[in-house]
Amino acid sequence: MAGFLLRRLGHALLVLLVVCTVTFGIVHAAPGGPSLLADPKLSIADRAAIEQRLGIDRPILVQYGRWLARLARGDLGNSFLYQTSTVSTIMERLPNTLLLAGAALLLTVAVAVPVAAWCAERPGGLLDRLAGALALGAISVPVFWLGILAILAFAVYAHILPAGGASDVGGSDSIVDRLRHLVLPALVLAAAGTAELFRYTRASALAQRARPFVRTARAKGVPERGVRWRHAMRNACIPVVTVIGLQLPRLVGGAAITETVFSWPGMGRLGIEAALARDYPLIMGITLLVSVGVLLASFLVDLAYVALDPRLRPRA
Amino acid sequence: MSRRRRWPAAGALSHRSIVAAAAWLLAAACGGGEPRSAVEQAAAAGGTLRIPLINDPIFDPVIAPDLGSILPNKLIFPGLVRPDEALRPTPDLAESWTISDDGLHATFTLRPGVLWHDGAPFSAEDVKFTFDAILDLASGSRLRSDFAAVQRVVIEDSLTVRFDFHAPFAPFLTLLGYNAGILPKHLLQGAPLTEATDFNRRKPVGTGPFMVTEVAPGASVTLVRNPHYYGSVPKLDRVVFKVVPDLNAQVAQLRAGELDLVTLEPANLASVQGVPGVEVLQVPVVQHFYVGLNVRRPAFRSPDVRRALGMAINRPAIIDGVLRGYADLPRGTIPVVLKDYFADALPPIPYAPDSSLVLLARAGWRRGADGRLRDAAGAPFAFELLLDKGNPTREQSALAVQQDLGRIGVTVTLRTMEFAALVRDRVLPGTFDATLIWWTTPPDPDQFAFYHTGQDNNNVGWSNPVADSLLALGRATLDVPRRQAIYRAFQRLEMEDPPVMVLFYPREIQAVTSRLVGFPSLGIRDALRHSERFALRTK
Repeated sequence: MAGFLLRRLGHALLVLLVVCTVTFGIVHAAPGGPSLLADPKLSIADRAAIEQRLGIDRPILVQYGRWLARLARGDLGNSFLYQTSTVSTIMERLPNTLLLAGAALLLTVAVAVPVAAWCAERPGGLLDRLAGALALGAISVPVFWLGILAILAFAVYAHILPAGGASDVGGSDSIVDRLRHLVLPALVLAAAGTAELFRYTRASALAQRARPFVRTARAKGVPERGVRWRHAMRNACIPVVTVIGLQLPRLVGGAAITETVFSWPGMGRLGIEAALARDYPLIMGITLLVSVGVLLASFLVDLAYVALDPRLRPRA
Repeated sequence: MSRRRRWPAAGALSHRSIVAAAAWLLAAACGGGEPRSAVEQAAAAGGTLRIPLINDPIFDPVIAPDLGSILPNKLIFPGLVRPDEALRPTPDLAESWTISDDGLHATFTLRPGVLWHDGAPFSAEDVKFTFDAILDLASGSRLRSDFAAVQRVVIEDSLTVRFDFHAPFAPFLTLLGYNAGILPKHLLQGAPLTEATDFNRRKPVGTGPFMVTEVAPGASVTLVRNPHYYGSVPKLDRVVFKVVPDLNAQVAQLRAGELDLVTLEPANLASVQGVPGVEVLQVPVVQHFYVGLNVRRPAFRSPDVRRALGMAINRPAIIDGVLRGYADLPRGTIPVVLKDYFADALPPIPYAPDSSLVLLARAGWRRGADGRLRDAAGAPFAFELLLDKGNPTREQSALAVQQDLGRIGVTVTLRTMEFAALVRDRVLPGTFDATLIWWTTPPDPDQFAFYHTGQDNNNVGWSNPVADSLLALGRATLDVPRRQAIYRAFQRLEMEDPPVMVLFYPREIQAVTSRLVGFPSLGIRDALRHSERFALRTK
C-alpha cells in the first residue's frame, strides 16, 4: 500500500509540473497581457515602470524560473490586481467556494442517487419519465440563464430569497441568513451535476439489476431492500463514484458562472477575474490549487473503488 | 420630482445645456421641490445606501487602476477641490487658492482643523507627500501624466502649500478635483504605495465623509459616517459597496431592493423602466466615443476622406436605435457637457452620403459597377474595424457603422477582441486600420495628450500643425474667454480635418431608488464627491 501511495504521489507531482508549465506558457502567450497596462492613458514611461515593478519585462524563461524558485519556498508571489499575496487572496475566497461546492455536491448526491435507484426499479414509470425530462432540461439549460431566472422568480417577484451575495452586509451574520443566501446558488450549481449523476446512476443500476448475482441474492431470500442497496446499488456505485469524482473539480473551477451571477465571493469568480486581467500570479495560484484538488479527488475516487470492490485491492 | 434634472430625449440640441442648468438652479432655489419635512426626516433617518462595484477596490486614489476602486475612493479621500454641478472646481480640502500672474505658481490655503480618520491632523505635509508620490515613477502612480506639468510642491507653512509648474497649466484645478485624493503621510511614508497592502485593501485612512469599517473580500465594503468630517455632517449612516460583477445581476438586485444606485447600459433600460420605487436619471458625462481611423494608413491620410466617411454615418440613427436616445449628437472631440467650451454654434456633422461620395471622388475613390469604391488602381476601399468584446452598445454601434459605410461602397470587416488585447496589441502599437473606442476625460477641454502630434496617447497618429499650436496654447492659457476662443477654433478645425470620427457623447444612465435625495446631477464618479449630502427618505 505504501508503494502504491508513493507512486501516486510521484505521478501527482509530475502532473502538477506539467500543468504549471503549460498554464504558464498559455497565460503568457494570451493576447493583451496584464490589464494594469491596458489603460490607454498611461504614457510609455508609466508602462515601462509598471512592467518593471511586476517583473514582466524579463524573458519568459527567467520569469518561469523565478516563479518555480519562489514556489519551492511556498511563495506564489503577489497578485497584480490585488497587490496582496496570492496565497492570502485565494484563502480569503476558498471557504466560500468550499461551502457552495460542498452544498451543491451534497444536494447532488442526496437527490440523484435515491431518485435514480427508485427510477431504476420502475423504468418507464411516471417518476422515471418526469425525472428524465427534468434531467434533460437541467443539462441543456445554460447556468447563467437558470441563475438569472431563479433570481427573478425567487428574489425579484416572490421576495423570499436574496438575489445575491453570501450574507446580508452589515446585517445579522446568522446561520439562517447565510443559508438563505446559499439556497439559490447551490441549487443552480447542483442542477446540471444532479442531472448527470442521475442519468449515470440510473443506467448503472439498471444494468446491475439484470445481472445474475442479483437474481441469486433474491433466490437466497434476501429482502428486496437488501437486494436493492447491498447488492445492486453497491455495484452500481462504482461508475457513479467516478462521476462524483469528476464533479469535484467542476464544482470548484466551474462555479465561476454561478458565482458571478449570484455575486458569490468565491474562487471561481476570482479565477475569471484573474484570467481576464491576465493576473499571472493569481492565475497560476488558482490553477495550482484546482489541480491539487483534481488530483486529490481522483485519489479519493481510487480509494473509494477499493472500499467498494474488494477485487480492486492491491495485492501485497 | 422637479428637483432632478431630466434631459429631453435626443432631438433638438441647441441651448439644451443652458435650459438644463437653469432648471437645476431653479430647482435648487425652490428647495428642491421637496417638502422641507421630508428632507429633515431623511436626515434624521440616516440609513444605508448600497452601490455595486464590479471588482474589489484598492483604497488608494494614486495607484487605483479601475472604476471599482475609483468609486469608493471618492468617499474616503477628498482632494483639494471638488467639482460642482457645473463641473467647476470648488473648495474642498483647500479653502482658497491664488495663481500667480505668470501661471507658474499656485498657492493653496488648506482648511484648518481637518482630521484623518485615525484622528491625526491633516496638513500641508500630506499634500506634498501625495503629489511627490504622484510624480514618482517608482511609486506605482497612475496619475503621473495628469500632473506632469508640476515641477515641485513646496510647503510654505502647515496650512499653505505651493505648486510650481514647468509651464502654465490650465487644467490643473480640474485635475485636482478629479482623481487626486490626498493620502496620509504619517501612514504611508517610507515605502512604495503599492506595498502598503494593509492600507490599500483593508484599513484605508482618509479625511472624507465616510470611513471604511469592514471589508469582505469579493463581497462588500462597508463605510460609516465620519463624525469628525470637516464639511456638513453626512446624512447617511452607512454606504455599502457590494461587489456585483455582472450587470444583469446588478439590475436584478436593484429590482429586488438589494441595491440603491446602478449605472446602466441602454440595453438594460427596459428591465428598470416602470419598476416601482426606481427612478431612471441621465446625465451627460465627459466622454467621446469614436471610430479612430489610423491616419498612418495611406487610405486615411487625406482629411477629405476622413470627413467623407464621417458624413456617411447616420449618427441620429445610432443615438436613437442603439443608445435609446441617451446620447448627444457630436461636433468635435469636446463633449457637450463642457458647456463653457463646447462649440454649440457649429452645426452637427451632417448625415449626407451623397456629399460623402463627392468628397471621396475628389480624393480618387470612385464607385465601380458593383457599387464598391475603388481607387485608380482598382483596389477596393476596405478596412478592419476593431472593437472590444462583450459590450452590446459598442457592438451594435459598430454594426451600424459597417452598414452605413457599406451603403457608400466601403467594405468594413468587424473584429472584436478583449479590451486589454485590443489596447495593448493593436491600438498602442498602431497596428490597426480603425477602432471603435472612447476617451473618458477630466472635465477640461485639454486634449493635448490625445491629439497633439507625437503624444503617447495620440493613438491614431493624427497630426495637424495648427491643431498642435492650439492645443499647446489651450493648456497654457488661464484666461477663460481666451481659452474658449482657442477651443472653439480647435473644434472648427476638427470639422475640416477630423482627428477621429466622433459617433456620440453618451449620457450616463443611473437607475436609483426613488428614496434617494441630495444626489447631484453629475456622473457617478463626480456625484460621489458630494456623498455627505445624500439622504434616504423613509418610505
